[in-house]
Amino acid sequence: MNEKLTTYLNELFAPYDGIKSVGELKADLLSDLQERFRELKAEGKDDETAFAMTIDSIGDIEETVKEIANLSQSLERQVRINLRAMNLNESDFAGVALHKGKFKASALRGANFVGADLTGCSFATSDVREGNFDGANLTDCSFYATDLANASFHQSVLVRTDVNVSSLKGAKFIDTRLTDAELAKSDLRTATFENCTFHGVDFKYCDLRGIRFDEQIFSGVRFDRSTLKDVSFRGATLKNVSFRLPISVTNKSYNDFKTVCFDGAMMDKLTYAALKGLWVVDLSNVAVI
Amino acid sequence: MSQNKITSDLLRGHTDTMILRLLSEADRYGYEMVKLVAERSGGEYELKEATMYSSVRRLEADGDIEWYWGDESQGGRRKYFRITEKGRVTYASNKSNWEYAKRVLDTLL
Repeated sequence: MNEKLTTYLNELFAPYDGIKSVGELKADLLSDLQERFRELKAEGKDDETAFAMTIDSIGDIEETVKEIANLSQSLERQVRINLRAMNLNESDFAGVALHKGKFKASALRGANFVGADLTGCSFATSDVREGNFDGANLTDCSFYATDLANASFHQSVLVRTDVNVSSLKGAKFIDTRLTDAELAKSDLRTATFENCTFHGVDFKYCDLRGIRFDEQIFSGVRFDRSTLKDVSFRGATLKNVSFRLPISVTNKSYNDFKTVCFDGAMMDKLTYAALKGLWVVDLSNVAVI
Repeated sequence: MSQNKITSDLLRGHTDTMILRLLSEADRYGYEMVKLVAERSGGEYELKEATMYSSVRRLEADGDIEWYWGDESQGGRRKYFRITEKGRVTYASNKSNWEYAKRVLDTLL
């Protein structure tokens, strides 16, 4: 008779197989029903009557199963996305939509995020060297103490993306749109930027030595207190861009800034005036627009 | 069982509080609670397993109750439910809300 109860429950719960919380409900229910059945038998009921009465005591289980499935599926989903401290090297996440995923302290070296929608994901303290974010949506993503060396951001979208104390050494930004992103205290040496647009981007305390921002468009961008030695803005368009130099007791930051090249750049009056005020850069080949 | 739909719905609306009451007395397992409801109501109200577990899961999610495995020497392991401090507060507040509603309804019906 226990088998008959089990079979009955199996059929009842079949559509929800694999949902952990529903499996737990089934186990709880089976244990209750077995006890009721034993008691009814002990009272002298025959098998058929006892079985019928036991089944009748369940009530509207479909409704409850649906409620429980909904209640806990969202919880289970969260747990699944909590890919904490996992080894996901070379993993393939191409094209996935994964909102607010937490890849905390994960090994994601060489992981493939091509075309993925990663809105709101966090990659804090993860190793994503050589990670491929080509065409990925990185809106509201956060990279804190993340190693992104040699990662690729070809045609990625970075809106309000937060990169803090991270390494972007040798990272490639091609046709990338950066809007209101913040790149702070990060190492971008040998990173490549080609054909990118920068709107409201905040580079602060970054190491930008040797970067070529040639021919690219900057509006409302701040390079405050970043190291800009040998940075090139040849042919770039700069509107409302600010360059506050790092505080230095020596002339180092001024000497570094002298090496920044603006040949052929176009800039608005505001940016031009601010740069002129620094005295050190050569603005002879700049067009004011 | 001579209850119509309205009565049944009215009673079912208080399942959470019934369970909190039962657990405020002692830790209990599922079938035990169903049985106690039948006994105490003199068979007037039968708490269905489905209704009980839907309430139990909700109370768990809200942090009003929690569960642990009992250590039965024979037979299957039983899952015992226990009320939390938060659950005791919820019970007290539900109970006083009911007292209030009952007083008001008594004057109106």
